[in-house]
Amino acid sequence: MSYVAIKGGKAAIDGAASATEYLRSKGSLQEPLSLAMIEEQLRLLTSRVVSEGGLYHPRLAALALKQFQGDTLEAAFALRAYRSTKPRLLESPVQDTANMRCIRRISSAFKEVPGGQYLGATYDYALRLLQLDLAHEDPAAFKAVAQSFLRDTPDAELPDNFPKVIDSLRAEGLLPPVAPSRAAAFDITRDPLVFPVPRSAALATMARAETGGLLAMAYSNMRGYGDVHPTVAELRVGYLPVMLPHPVTGELMEAGEVLITECEVVAMYEGSNGDELPTFTLGYGACFGHNEVKAISMAILDRALQKGMRDGPGNPSEDPEFVLLHVDGVDSMGFASHYKMPHYVTFQSDMDRLRTTQQKMQQKSQEETA
Amino acid sequence: MNIPRNEWAVALCAMPAAEVKHLANVLSGELEVRDVALPHAGLGLLNLRDGAFEESYFIGEIPVARAEVIVRSAAGVEERGGALIVDDRAQFARSIAILDAVMAGKLPGSVPAMALVQRGMAVRKQKDSERKKLLTATRVDFSLLGQEDDEDEE
Repeated sequence: MSYVAIKGGKAAIDGAASATEYLRSKGSLQEPLSLAMIEEQLRLLTSRVVSEGGLYHPRLAALALKQFQGDTLEAAFALRAYRSTKPRLLESPVQDTANMRCIRRISSAFKEVPGGQYLGATYDYALRLLQLDLAHEDPAAFKAVAQSFLRDTPDAELPDNFPKVIDSLRAEGLLPPVAPSRAAAFDITRDPLVFPVPRSAALATMARAETGGLLAMAYSNMRGYGDVHPTVAELRVGYLPVMLPHPVTGELMEAGEVLITECEVVAMYEGSNGDELPTFTLGYGACFGHNEVKAISMAILDRALQKGMRDGPGNPSEDPEFVLLHVDGVDSMGFASHYKMPHYVTFQSDMDRLRTTQQKMQQKSQEETA
Repeated sequence: MNIPRNEWAVALCAMPAAEVKHLANVLSGELEVRDVALPHAGLGLLNLRDGAFEESYFIGEIPVARAEVIVRSAAGVEERGGALIVDDRAQFARSIAILDAVMAGKLPGSVPAMALVQRGMAVRKQKDSERKKLLTATRVDFSLLGQEDDEDEE
């Protein structure tokens, strides 16, 4: 592939930057968006960027969304670029998501799950009708919404965290036993994926995958190019306290928290080998932020990839190489975008070859008719 | 209220950074503060245990800031303090480390520092209460219609 240097490129590129900023700011009545507005009012968009950027920094994700005018792929790219300039200070101890402070917790497997089900903030049961009054929202009424919710909702004694639904299934012997791997988790930010890869590499790759890409792969499995047939044992959204060692005492202390979405799916049971009883199979998904479609898609693909890693892939969603090398938004967007770059030399070569081929065919045709 | 040391940092993080820095600056004027290592900010790789098979994997990175100091009072009493927080402000971490040392050693200034921690705990408690309201308002009642009194009977 060849590129050519041209005169005047810098002026055009500077002009493009100005034109982009012009479109962002045009309109005399507009106020610039504050980062808090983006982070809070477009919280699900911010969630996409923190997970696809692979860095839990909601404020910078909001900044990236502002800078790139709502483009989630570019925003995630900017977050990844930012993280590449920062030193790695630590690797955290293993965090247990059972400690999540849930703000939403549901199960489609059981009605009466230990601790109860809580819908939290969701559009699951909302009509998909445009709420036209939001087009001219009164600022005073807007501010009153949160106040009235807090005022009108009674305080209740609730636990800080909830037991995992799959723990009860496991206690009944309906799930495969846990055999924790002692292998260190794979760091996809430092090491390239060379197949076969461990499951930890697959989970890390999917945790920062592009939502739409991951959904497309999982959807192919749901529609029939696969046999996962999942049931959501538990979907939870909440704040996970990050436990790090105190620099002086070494004792684990809460250093902050991250919002995550986590999903465990129970899938088709598998036959026994020898004396072992059959059990359900499991899939797991989790990502930064509030992004349920992504967590569910990841859980389905985790289950599909486990089968593919064990028995060989029977369809695309069970093929680790196919899935893991095609779900990253920054990678795939970069490849697609590079086609916009000048390919003058390679295309000139293509044209030369085409003309030569046409000339040869015309010459041959003339010779045959002569 | 006796708040354990491993909750001081997160309580201080709940307070406005300017307030924490201001108190640390005031105390630094009265005490001798030495950095054990320069405060720094960077990233931490977050290691999670997956809920299905309990294998560990990295979900992504988090910003972390770290500081460690030795604080010495006019009376010659020394105490070591530290902070490691999910944040990208190194100087904020240093301020917390100073207060950590002051409170751990009960050095002059530990009373206002602990008051700040207590206010931070109150902020956290309030936030916790607000989050729980999201659950309270949306708890699903699976009892069958007619099994219990419901609004349809009124």
